[in-house]
Amino acid sequence: MPHRMHLMVCAGTGCVANRSPEVRDALVTEIAKRGLENEIQVVTTGCNGFCGAGPLMVVQPDGIFYQQLSPKDVPHLVEEHFLKGRPVQKLMYVPPETRTPLPKMMDIPFFSRQRLIALRNRGLIDPERIEEYIARDGYAALAKALSQMTPQQILEEVKISGLRGRGGAGFPTGAKWEHVLKAEGEPKYVICNGDEGDPGAFMDRSIVESDPHSVIEGMLIGARAIGARWGVVYIRNEYPLAVQRLMIALEQAREYGLLGDNILDTGFDFDISVSRGAGAFVCGEATALVSAVEGRPGEPRARPPRLAQHGLWGKPTCLNNVETWADVPPIINNGGAWYAQIGTEKSKGTKVFSLVGKINNTGLVEVPMGITLREIIYDIGGGVPGGKKFKAVQTGGPSGGCIPNELIDLPIDFESLAEAGSMMGSGGMVIMDEDTCMVDVARYFLAFTQDESCGKCAPCREGTQLMLDILTRITDGHGTMEDLDALEEVAKVVAETSLCGLGTSAPNPVLTTMRYFRDEYLAHIGAHKCPAHVCRQLNTYRIDPAICVERGHGCGVCRRECPEKAIFGEKNQAHRVDATLCNKCGTCVDVCHFNAVIVE
Amino acid sequence: MIRLTIDGKTTEVERGTTLLHAARFLDIKIPTLCYHPLIKPFAACRLCVVEVKRSWGMELVPSCHVACQEGMEVSTGSSHVLAARRLVLELMLARWPNVPILRKYAAELGLEKPRFASPLRDEREDACILCGLCVRACDEVVGASAISFAERGIGRRVATPFNLESESCIACGACALVCPTSYIKFEAEDHRGKPPEFLLDPNTAIYMPTAQAVPKVPSIDRDSCIHFQTGGCQKCVEVCEPGAVNHKMVDEEIEVEVGQVLVAIGYDTFDPTPMAQYAYGRLDNVYTGLEVERMLNSTGPTGGRVLLKNGKPPRAVGIVHCVGSRDENYHRYCSRVCCMYALKFAHVVKERSGAEIYNFYIDMRAFGKGYEEFYSRVLNEGANVIRGKVAEVVQAGWSKQKEGALLLRCEDTLIGRFREIPVDMVILCNAIEPRRDAEQVGRLFGLSRSPDGFFLERHPKLDPVATMTDGIFVAGCAQGPKDIPDVVAQACAAAARMMATISKGEVEIDPVRAEVMEEYCSGCRVCSALCPYSAISYVAERKVSQVNSALCKGCGTCVAACPSGAMTGYGFTDRQINAELEGVLAV
Amino acid sequence: MSRNGRGFEPRIVGFLCNWCSYSGADLAGVSRMKSAPNLRIIRVMCSGRVDPSFILRAFQLGADGVLVAGCHPGDCHYQEGNAKALRRVLLLKRMLRDFGIDEHRLRLEWISAAEGERFAAVSTEFTEQLRALGPLVLARRAEVA
Repeated sequence: MPHRMHLMVCAGTGCVANRSPEVRDALVTEIAKRGLENEIQVVTTGCNGFCGAGPLMVVQPDGIFYQQLSPKDVPHLVEEHFLKGRPVQKLMYVPPETRTPLPKMMDIPFFSRQRLIALRNRGLIDPERIEEYIARDGYAALAKALSQMTPQQILEEVKISGLRGRGGAGFPTGAKWEHVLKAEGEPKYVICNGDEGDPGAFMDRSIVESDPHSVIEGMLIGARAIGARWGVVYIRNEYPLAVQRLMIALEQAREYGLLGDNILDTGFDFDISVSRGAGAFVCGEATALVSAVEGRPGEPRARPPRLAQHGLWGKPTCLNNVETWADVPPIINNGGAWYAQIGTEKSKGTKVFSLVGKINNTGLVEVPMGITLREIIYDIGGGVPGGKKFKAVQTGGPSGGCIPNELIDLPIDFESLAEAGSMMGSGGMVIMDEDTCMVDVARYFLAFTQDESCGKCAPCREGTQLMLDILTRITDGHGTMEDLDALEEVAKVVAETSLCGLGTSAPNPVLTTMRYFRDEYLAHIGAHKCPAHVCRQLNTYRIDPAICVERGHGCGVCRRECPEKAIFGEKNQAHRVDATLCNKCGTCVDVCHFNAVIVE
Repeated sequence: MIRLTIDGKTTEVERGTTLLHAARFLDIKIPTLCYHPLIKPFAACRLCVVEVKRSWGMELVPSCHVACQEGMEVSTGSSHVLAARRLVLELMLARWPNVPILRKYAAELGLEKPRFASPLRDEREDACILCGLCVRACDEVVGASAISFAERGIGRRVATPFNLESESCIACGACALVCPTSYIKFEAEDHRGKPPEFLLDPNTAIYMPTAQAVPKVPSIDRDSCIHFQTGGCQKCVEVCEPGAVNHKMVDEEIEVEVGQVLVAIGYDTFDPTPMAQYAYGRLDNVYTGLEVERMLNSTGPTGGRVLLKNGKPPRAVGIVHCVGSRDENYHRYCSRVCCMYALKFAHVVKERSGAEIYNFYIDMRAFGKGYEEFYSRVLNEGANVIRGKVAEVVQAGWSKQKEGALLLRCEDTLIGRFREIPVDMVILCNAIEPRRDAEQVGRLFGLSRSPDGFFLERHPKLDPVATMTDGIFVAGCAQGPKDIPDVVAQACAAAARMMATISKGEVEIDPVRAEVMEEYCSGCRVCSALCPYSAISYVAERKVSQVNSALCKGCGTCVAACPSGAMTGYGFTDRQINAELEGVLAV
Repeated sequence: MSRNGRGFEPRIVGFLCNWCSYSGADLAGVSRMKSAPNLRIIRVMCSGRVDPSFILRAFQLGADGVLVAGCHPGDCHYQEGNAKALRRVLLLKRMLRDFGIDEHRLRLEWISAAEGERFAAVSTEFTEQLRALGPLVLARRAEVA
């Protein structure tokens, strides 16, 4: 007897971290207790995308969306909704503007504005069961590609779709495949780049966790098109859940004869091995990745030759990232033209972005190319929390650029982002509000790239270090105007002369913040002030005597907590900070219950 | 061929040529740090960037790595390029301000005062600038992979695995050779596989055996050559334009059929180490004649100057004749050449160093053409000749002034006095002796050796180049010590003898042969078992034995053994010998 | 030459091989080495050519001693003729006793071409030895005498 209800409990990393397995177990127990186990089935799914609101559950077939569940909510939920048929409002999503709960998932703007292609199966299937993938038309594209299409036709379809690499550079996928197909040398390899090193980006992890077969199927189709026999998935070892699910998926695909020899009885042989990365950011660079797969230090090499000519083990290699491979099956199923109608003229289809930072709806969103930043941030992301002003968005990971509020109506595609001084990158979006210091942001991201530089080429190795020194000097209040000029000069040369993408893009945060927020730099250098009060060495701390006495009655918590014993005062009297002793740690601000400490 | 324009000059290059090479053809200078012509481009120092015109604008590319393309327009000296190079160099100078090669490029690029200072500033002149040449030489060229980069980013450094002595290192020194800052230094602990003569020179695995080598081609020292240790390198093959280097060559055994052999295997020199009184190998500055010969050679280790071990010229030199020759304990014969080369040393050493010369002789044997005159000349030049055998060579003393000086003790038989002569250097004129493998060679050819060990000629006066074995001749010091004119004369004589046989076209054999008198032969075949040449065969139909007179050498063993007296030996028949017996015993 | 008393000079027949011993004898002569004049040399190509009957014939004809000299073992010009000579001489020595001839009157020596000195020494020493043994007196010859 079919179940009348399916409870799709999210088991993505975000929700698992918020204890969704406990919620699932509680549900199973509670349902059994009520004797509903034959009517209601609990399904663990991959990442749903709305990670900020986890643990999540969607009740099908109605599409009722519950968020922030905890095991203690479960008895009430089962009783009310599943027995009595009354969805529980207090567990639903409440948009900040209207304050009316939205019961159905597709009514929530976060979901309704998305267009799912790469993430088509998220939250709908159990990623550890190949049958569920097949039930959602999985491997139909493979069957079509193998039985009804020639490799050339597959290639044509991908070319028509206008699909571009989702890893960051946006190289046309069809053209890349064609290079590999035409390259001389056997055997040929396909590689899936799952080394998602950008902090704040997690779409690749999410795809592998929620729908690993879509990647496998994409690689199979790609392998067929270019004539490869072997594939490699390079995935970070820091993604244990993704690795585990990928392994299960590969094993199941082999059992079903979808990997191995004579796939689907068409004479096509292909298999995939998994190579686990040790977590170096630079290994996301294609040549460094290949070097790492070969067992050598993960360092990039100069191109040309491209990987299409001289890739893994010196053979022609087609390397695409997880999201690109996941986009391939729908293109084959629905045709390239279908895909090409989505998006802008030069950037077709959809792109997954991870929304993080100062935003209400943290999570993964897949949107058509050409959508504006405003739509993403306000309509889908729900805007900046706490009524703060949006200041900038940093796109493309640590080596992307910061796009200011003035450009919020920028339609997002590869070209427009590059023009604005940033890049698509892997699709990370860090939203920053008025409390963010842009100099500090530049310093933060540069510290990351400086730390992750492999050190092979001189400009990146020495240049990122020098830029970091200068930025640290500025945020410490010791910067000069000469520093600012030098910073710009070094940033430009490092961008122009570095060997690989890491070095050429590392200066992006510096260059874009200098371009759009030069006044902040000048404030740091000229007035020795940080307008956002983030750079503590530039702040002065003062206690408002009126507030301290009237509201706090001179509680003295700041005096006790101050590590430098720089705060003086008696009970019931106003406290004061001795600026000569203060080390500007900001502890007093954090501990004062009455907001009496004023930062200037 | 590809046409491109570099700095406005159009040039044609072969496909695959890098921009750096193309520019160098045009005499355009481009600074490089991580580039080496024999190592694959690394494109890491970014100092060689040049500007290439692309559809989207001017792009900076590393010229060491990027290949020329048809119609490329390249600028190597635009302000854009120079600014980038200058800044990259400034970044490196911030960390290594004193490295000479960086300073040189800085001066060339007009970079007067670097603006930056790195927190990891390294003031050493021989700091590592992370160009990676050593790592790549070790990996790509040598194939040892004994060193590598460790850590990443700013912490990157060149290291052995776990900073321990690398087991893969074959001590080839390639890393030190390519290092542009001498950060890697090579300290030789031994000279593997070098012939002793070469210990004094630094040497490479492929070398010219001597400056005047004949044929004048280099040879590869298998024990030092990287290729034979790791299978890698072969850089000599790459750079040799005629393609003359061949690592696959192996020793071959070639069989040549010849009718005559000239045995001229030469001689060994006597090792004076056992003569402890001369302190050879024990005290510094005591040399054998051949070692001094090497020192006097203008292509030798000192460039022909006579120097002591401490690098100073000697003040006095003692030359000892008859070391190992004319000595009951070693060789009783005279080596014949020593007196004259000792006088030559006296002449040359005095001329080159101005040192006081003392020759110690037993008898002065200046017997050749012009030799006596040379002796007189050396005497006139002021060489001291002392008739007397040197008793011992000792350290002169331990005082600072006498440090390293030697003392020669001898009896001057002409004045009948015991003398002690202080010198700085002693030259031992050691004897010529038979080659250490003379016995095996002799066995091989059936040659006799005289008591001194040299090969014996057939007759000392009448047949001095032939031996007792037909077709085998001797010449040179293999037959006995002799000087060059004598060797040449003897060798010519031997060659002439051999040529005579060849030109005659037929070989005369001794008429001394055995023959069977068939009427007496019973066919017992005692003879055939005895014949070392298998010259006797049995004729079954006549039931007699028969001698093949071309194979028979006439030894007569069969004749002596024949029970029926059927075998007879021409020249030595029973009748003849009996007649001789009667003759010698008649009186 | 007196054949009795002090003035006895033994007559010795020497079979010398052409390559070693004969050359050695030659060398002794060329080197002006002093050797006993008692030895009368018969050159053979190889010591292997020495038929035992020659030795007996020599004794019969009045020789007081016979020397057979060849190359050192291993040095034979004909590879192994000296080995055959060795065999024959050893066997013959046993027979000599039966003839009433002291076996010391037959001597086999290895003398190389380089050993002139040795040749001289051997011939002198052999002569002295025979001088001590005295003249060989064979029964029939004694009868004749």
